[in-house]
Amino acid sequence: MKIGFLGLGIMGRPMALNLLKGGHQVVVWARRAESMTPLADAGATVAADPADVARQVEVVISMVADAPDVAQVMLGERGAAAGAQSGLVAVDMSTIAPSAAKDIAAKMKAQGIEFVDAPVSGGEVGAIAGTLSIMAGGTEAAFAKARPAFECMGKNIVHVGDSGAGQVAKACNQIVTGMGVMAVAEAMCFASKAGADPARVREALLGGFAYSKILENHGQRMLDRNFKPGFKSWMHQKDLNIVMQSAHELGLMLPGSAMTAQMFNAMVGSGLGEEDSIAVLKLLENLSGQQ
Amino acid sequence: MKLGFIGLGVMGRPMARRLLEAGYEVSVWARRPESATPLLAAGAILRANPAEVARCSDVVFTIVTHGHDVETVVFGEQGLSTGFAAGSILVDMSTIAPALACDIASRLATQGVHLLDAPVSGGGVGAEAGTLAIMVGGDAAVLERVHPVFAVLGKTLVHIGGSGTGQVAKACNQMIMVAAIQAAAEAMRLAAAAGVDPAKVQQALLGGSAGSRVLEVFGSRMVARDFKAGVEARLHHKDFGLLLNAARGMGVTLPVVASVGQQLNALMANGWGGCDTAALLQVLEIGGRS
Repeated sequence: MKIGFLGLGIMGRPMALNLLKGGHQVVVWARRAESMTPLADAGATVAADPADVARQVEVVISMVADAPDVAQVMLGERGAAAGAQSGLVAVDMSTIAPSAAKDIAAKMKAQGIEFVDAPVSGGEVGAIAGTLSIMAGGTEAAFAKARPAFECMGKNIVHVGDSGAGQVAKACNQIVTGMGVMAVAEAMCFASKAGADPARVREALLGGFAYSKILENHGQRMLDRNFKPGFKSWMHQKDLNIVMQSAHELGLMLPGSAMTAQMFNAMVGSGLGEEDSIAVLKLLENLSGQQ
Repeated sequence: MKLGFIGLGVMGRPMARRLLEAGYEVSVWARRPESATPLLAAGAILRANPAEVARCSDVVFTIVTHGHDVETVVFGEQGLSTGFAAGSILVDMSTIAPALACDIASRLATQGVHLLDAPVSGGGVGAEAGTLAIMVGGDAAVLERVHPVFAVLGKTLVHIGGSGTGQVAKACNQMIMVAAIQAAAEAMRLAAAAGVDPAKVQQALLGGSAGSRVLEVFGSRMVARDFKAGVEARLHHKDFGLLLNAARGMGVTLPVVASVGQQLNALMANGWGGCDTAALLQVLEIGGRS
């Protein structure tokens, strides 16, 4: 299949490379020309702008920073919509607000283009390994058309529902992981201040109902004091902001998420934004005078 | 000095009336012309659109609900900016994001128009009585020119600093006020659950260190279970969205305010946005022992 890819950052580059490895013809575009070089070297076609990409493909995928960027590459001047062939399916794999995804989907539909929101979980490691979790929102037909592309990039691929449903699932993912990291960090702080070895505590907990991937992976990195990202704190803050803004719009009470979002504000404000989200451990230690 | 006034709601109408009573010529415009009617009887002049108001005024006051309402009134089609002469002054008394106030100020500055952000606290009662607290951001010399008009509207006037700082002060005001309403609600809830008369507790507390204006005014509404709007809770909910977003942008943590924001979300979810914010008590009554 001919697939377009817009946005070749930390996530986008390995995802596009996996499409090439999967035997697809890939046309790429990125704002900075130099980010396209590794893809061109691997056999991708370089295009002049998103419209030029869309002109040449059946499915076009974007992986960019935030909702205004998605709107720009899809609907802006020389955006994908401007070059779309009949039957084009547009897929956005960025993490943006569900309401923004729905809005973009409606505008694309008005131009006869199917839009799928398909954010991912699994980070850079998952993007390189092609083992991302992909949660999609859109019509059955559009999802089916994009599926071969998803299969090159991810392992756990779920069609969650209509437009916006993928982003809702991603927001839920960030609620669970955000509070999960907080919970593990608080347990680690509690253990050490109360005089128990946090490593032993973690080991004991892994066998019981407190087991989670976060306790296992993030917990180990906390013990190793390895704060290299991973998933940067400022990005988790951005995602939690999507959660809190949506809760505000919906009239939804999320006390735990609200508290977690405040902790991430404090992390970014105190210069921990570029570190992994497990650096919330350092913030908790500072607050309790544990350094 | 000729004045313009846009936004004739619960706050704006009594404020405009006070200006007329003080002898100013006041041009008005309202999206719904009927909201201007009571003022016309008091001598206000109805203009066809905001641009006309700007053309006929030296200083224009706006007090509307949302940031985008301010933007539309100022920069929309037939907006104020198309009618302003250089040297005109816009006084925006709405509660909007500090960053948006700064943005509007710099856009108006390119045409030589001055903006004061001057949000108020004191509610409809303070607007009627001319006892509002006014917090002003913008140029001191500009404020000096508008000072006599402010004196008609409010009792406390503080020049906080440059553009946007009035809105920062207002955000701080909302944080303290609504958190205090929540605290009063929790105290009333505890008293009632313990089988104690909340009215007596409130009365006792007002004489001590926990005494506050909020405990007096909102506490009384809770005791009387009178949740008719004084201040519609949806407006506080809106303000909390703005200020929590600003805190996030600055990397500041506001744990109590964030928690109160969630109580406001629950209030909205139950359809009480049109009630007074004292209805936070009803949110507490949803959970726990009845």
